[in-house]
Amino acid sequence: MTLQQSAEPAVAARPAWRRDKSRLFQEMGMLAPAVALLTIFLIVPFLLSFWTAMTNQPLVPRPTPVRFVGFGNFLRILKDDLFWTSLWNVSRFTFWILPVQCGLAFATALLLHQKMPFQNLFRGLFFLPAITSMVVVCVIWGTLFQYPTGPFNQVIGFLSGGTIEPIDWLGDPNWAMFSIVLLSAWQAYGFQMIVYLAGLQSIPDELYDAARIDGANALQRFWHVTMPGLRPTHVFVLVITTIQAFKLYTQVAILTQGGPKSSTETVVHYMVRSGFEEQKLGYASAVSVILFLIVLVIALLQRQLLRRFDV
Amino acid sequence: MSDIAISTPQAQMTRTRSAVGSLRIVQTACILVIALVIVSPLFMLLIASLKDDRFQILADMGSFRAFWVSDPTLANFAEVGNFSGELAFGRYLLNSLIILALTVGSGLIVNSMAGFVLAWGSVRGRALILSLVIALYVIPQESIIMPLVIMVSRAGMTDTFAVQIVPWIASPLYIFLFYQFFAQLPKELFEAAQIDGASIFRIYRSIFLPLSLPALATVSILMGIESWNQYLWPILVTQTDYARPIAVAIATFFGQDSIYWDRAMAASVLMMLPILALYLAFQRWFVSSFVGSAVKG
Repeated sequence: MTLQQSAEPAVAARPAWRRDKSRLFQEMGMLAPAVALLTIFLIVPFLLSFWTAMTNQPLVPRPTPVRFVGFGNFLRILKDDLFWTSLWNVSRFTFWILPVQCGLAFATALLLHQKMPFQNLFRGLFFLPAITSMVVVCVIWGTLFQYPTGPFNQVIGFLSGGTIEPIDWLGDPNWAMFSIVLLSAWQAYGFQMIVYLAGLQSIPDELYDAARIDGANALQRFWHVTMPGLRPTHVFVLVITTIQAFKLYTQVAILTQGGPKSSTETVVHYMVRSGFEEQKLGYASAVSVILFLIVLVIALLQRQLLRRFDV
Repeated sequence: MSDIAISTPQAQMTRTRSAVGSLRIVQTACILVIALVIVSPLFMLLIASLKDDRFQILADMGSFRAFWVSDPTLANFAEVGNFSGELAFGRYLLNSLIILALTVGSGLIVNSMAGFVLAWGSVRGRALILSLVIALYVIPQESIIMPLVIMVSRAGMTDTFAVQIVPWIASPLYIFLFYQFFAQLPKELFEAAQIDGASIFRIYRSIFLPLSLPALATVSILMGIESWNQYLWPILVTQTDYARPIAVAIATFFGQDSIYWDRAMAASVLMMLPILALYLAFQRWFVSSFVGSAVKG
């Protein structure tokens, strides 16, 4: 830095328009890599997905030309029972994961927000699952879920004195999705916890002091100061978790492949299967467009909710 | 929070103190229980990876022996840590590390430069680009992946390192995080440097970037986790060992008739170590309030 400073008076002496021009060039140069990469790898494929969705594009190029099929793919998707099953499954997943994951995140954040010894150590520990890859999570929980003699079944058998039959966590259509919920919540709650901690920090201490002077007890302070202060955080966390839930894929692809009896089939798994196993890329693109529309609706809903709370 | 900070009559204060005391016991108990639930599966993984007998691993799991190993051995790690052959997890780990380093390294530069210009630049169309970046954040990776596969295979990029790095360098989320961080730094900082005649790149490089350690750390951790855990994209674009990341390699254990849990556990521990190191190195600056600031965006 110091070496080049001698050159700077000369730069300053240049006419203003030239400095501005070179400055604009520099700014554009600094923006260029991001703009180019986002255009090529995000905007173009995004726009292409709408086009591909209206064609019969196969995965492997064929001699016959790709045909425009209009909304044919969408109509076929909407007539496919498996698509509706997958949509129903991710809705079930969302219904369970919201209370389990967000509840755990909120509870741990409340606990960790109080002053206590080893606060940072616990914060670090509680974030560990969030840095654990989903594949590793599947290895761990795959052993926990073993049927009939895995750890969970042994503990349940021990606690019930053998009266409860072992549960086939991942192999029973009634249990499979719930098992996926458990491991997903364990893996992902750490991020929501961090967001809640940030939300708690953003509530000014004066509000608590004022409430205390007014004679509010701990529960009243929680209900009338903490909860209103966390409203935007709640909206954000619920929306992010819902969006993530609709994109459920990795753990299902590894542990159950959508089974048993399609009880864990998800929208993304359905998309990947139609695109790569059945090689119907146009059809799969139509599924991806539907997925985008779902995510968009949820995100717009968040905007509306936040706007309402800001008033 | 700070009950004791307010000056209250003595009697009231002692009552508050004892109430706080009993609350603290409940709080500590809750934290310890949650810590047990959260950490014990990971601890079990570590212990199991040190046991040689894969049948014993499963048999031990339902009891306290899951948390104890009498004769620890690194045999499993030796078995999977090869650089060639069937269990070349050393190589897959290296592949993932290369992908991680290059993605995060270039991601920090590209996204922070863009975020800086959006916050302090004067080029026309900044506001438009910023709102476009925020809008693009809504598009999930999953919904662009189909056309992207056609694009990269037409470009002959299948089965390379580049295909796993280049598409994910620029990201609306990280551009926005950097923008937000830079925008809240004082205006005087920028103006003083400008009067001194520093160019916009030098203001970024020599003044704002050194101040943005919390942002750099946060983005490093978030991007690192994201890159490390990529699964769907690499299974679509890698076919051979050449650039296969460790996540995909570990998942292949599940395709086998009987899972070699001992090997899977050792490979999993291998996979956890680098990202754990990254997290521990940057955790100090991984400011939660910074992540939270994105909430209202």
